[in-house]
Amino acid sequence: MNERTLSTNVNGFQYSRVLMYVGGGISNFFLGLALLFGLWWAGIYFVSSDPTMAHFADFGPIPAFKAIGFAWEDGLIQRAIESSGYRLGLGLLIAIVIGVPIGILMGRSRLFRELSNAPFQLLRMISPLSWEPIAVIVFVTWEQAIIFLIAIASVWPVAFATASGLAKVDPAWFKVARNLGAKRWHMLTQIIVPAIAFDVLTGIRLALGVAWIVLVPAEFLGVDSGLGYTIQDARETLQYDYLMAMVLIIGAIGYFLDGAIVLLIKRFSWTRGEV
Amino acid sequence: MSNGAPHADVVPMQGNATSGHFRSAWRRFSNAIIGLSILFALWWIGGYFIYLNPHTTHFASFGPIPTLQAFPEMWASGSIQSAILASGYRLGVGLLIAVVIGVPVGIFMGRSKKFRELSNSPFQLLRMISPLSWMPLAVLVFFSWNQSIIFLIAIASVWPVAYATAAGLAKVDPSWFKVARNLGAKPWHMVTAIIMPAIAFDIFTGIRLALGIAWVVLVPAEFLGVTSGLGYAIEDARESLAYDHLTAMVLVIGIIGWILDSACVLLIKRFSWHHSG
Repeated sequence: MNERTLSTNVNGFQYSRVLMYVGGGISNFFLGLALLFGLWWAGIYFVSSDPTMAHFADFGPIPAFKAIGFAWEDGLIQRAIESSGYRLGLGLLIAIVIGVPIGILMGRSRLFRELSNAPFQLLRMISPLSWEPIAVIVFVTWEQAIIFLIAIASVWPVAFATASGLAKVDPAWFKVARNLGAKRWHMLTQIIVPAIAFDVLTGIRLALGVAWIVLVPAEFLGVDSGLGYTIQDARETLQYDYLMAMVLIIGAIGYFLDGAIVLLIKRFSWTRGEV
Repeated sequence: MSNGAPHADVVPMQGNATSGHFRSAWRRFSNAIIGLSILFALWWIGGYFIYLNPHTTHFASFGPIPTLQAFPEMWASGSIQSAILASGYRLGVGLLIAVVIGVPVGIFMGRSKKFRELSNSPFQLLRMISPLSWMPLAVLVFFSWNQSIIFLIAIASVWPVAYATAAGLAKVDPSWFKVARNLGAKPWHMVTAIIMPAIAFDIFTGIRLALGIAWVVLVPAEFLGVTSGLGYAIEDARESLAYDHLTAMVLVIGIIGWILDSACVLLIKRFSWHHSG
C-alpha cells in the first residue's frame, strides 16, 4: 500500500475488497438468514405481547412474507421493480458514460487531475438530494430529475475508481505498445480497457451502493411508481405488512445486484495476489 | 489541497527535498484555485443562459453572483449557523453510535471465523436496505423526528465502520498475538496494546466512508418532519422561492462536506503505519 492509497478512490476499494473477503458456505448463508428472521420474529412477538403495542404485530416476518405473496400476485412488486430499475439503470449508464472518460483523463493528465481535484471534491461532497429542488426546476419531468440525481451521485465513484485504476498501470506497457507500433486507439482498446476493467467495475459497485441510497428518497416525492413510492404509499395507508415486505424486497434486490457485480469483478480481476 | 498525497512522479532528490516539495505543493495549490475559478466561471455562464432565456429569467438567482450576495445576509441572520449546528448534532451523534456499535462488531467479525460467516448474509441483506426505507418504521418506533434522523444516519454508517474494522484486523499479523500472549498480555491488553493501534488506520478509513454515506442520508432525512438543519433549509428556500438562498445552502453543504472529508483524510494519514510500498 503506497501513499496514493490515501486519495479518495482507493478507500472505497478497500471497502469493496473487504466486502468480498467475508463470506462463507451455503449452509452459513441460510443459517445466518434464519437467525436474522428468528430475531425479527422474537422482537416483534415480544413487543406486540404488550396489549398497548399489539398493532405492531403487523411488522413481524410472517405478515411480511404473506404480503410479499399478495403484492406479487397483484403485480405491485414487479411494477415497482420495473420503474425503479429503469431509473437506476439509466442513471448508472449516464454515470458510466461520463465518469469513465473523465477518470481516464484524470489518470493520464496530471494537469487535468490537479485542476479538477478541488472542484470535483466540492461537487462530490454536495449531498445528492440537495440537487433535487434544482433538478425539479431544470428538468421537465420528475422521472428525469430522479435519473439526474442518481447519475450525479454515482458519477464520482466511477470517475475516481477509473483514475486510480489507470494510476496502477505500469507506464512501461505504454512504451512497449508504442514500440510495437500501437496507435492511440489501440492503446485504449488493447491496454487501458483490459487493465482497468476491474477498477471500473469496482467503481460501478460503489456507485450502485450510493445510487441505491439515493433512489428511495428521490422516489418519495413527485412520482407514483417505484420502490420508494411503494414504501411511502404503504405507510400512508397504514399497511405495515406491505411496508415490511417492500423493505425486505429492497434489501434482497440490493443484495442480488451487489452480488452480480462482485461476480463480474472477480471475472475481470487480474490482481490475484492482493487481498 | 485536501488529498495532497505526493504523487510518485514528484518525489524530490534528497538534497533539495524541502524546496522541491514546496514547489509541488505550490503548484497543486495554484491549480486548485484555478480549478475552482473554472467551476465558478462555468456556473456563471450557465446562470447567464438561464437569464437570457425568457422562460427561465426568474430563475436567474441560481447564478453565482446572487448566491454569493446571499451569503452575508444569511450569515448575519444566523440561518447558516443554526442549520449547521442542528445537522452537525444529528450527524455527530449518528456517527458516534455507528462507531460505538460498528467497531466491536467489526473486531468480532475479524477475530471469529464462525461469526464472520454466519453474519455475512444477514449483514449484507441489511446493508443493502436503502437507509431511507427505514424511515416510516423509524418514525413509528422513535418519539421524535430528531431521534429517527439519528437512527437513519447510524444504520447507514454502521456497515462501513464494521467492515473496515474487520478488514483491518485481518491484516494484523497473527504472530503479534502470540508474542503478546507469551509476554503475559490479558485479553484486555490485546485490545488496547495491539488491536487498537494496528487498526486505527482502518477504523478511520471506515469512518470516512461512513461520513460520505451519512452525508447522503442526512439531507433527505431532514426534508420531512423537522424544522432545522441543512436539508430543511434547502426545502424551505425552495418553497419560499428564494433561489439564491437555495444555491447558497447547496454550496455550504459542499464546502462542509469537503472540510469533514479532508479532516478524516488527515486523521487517516496521522494513524497510518504502512509507510512503505
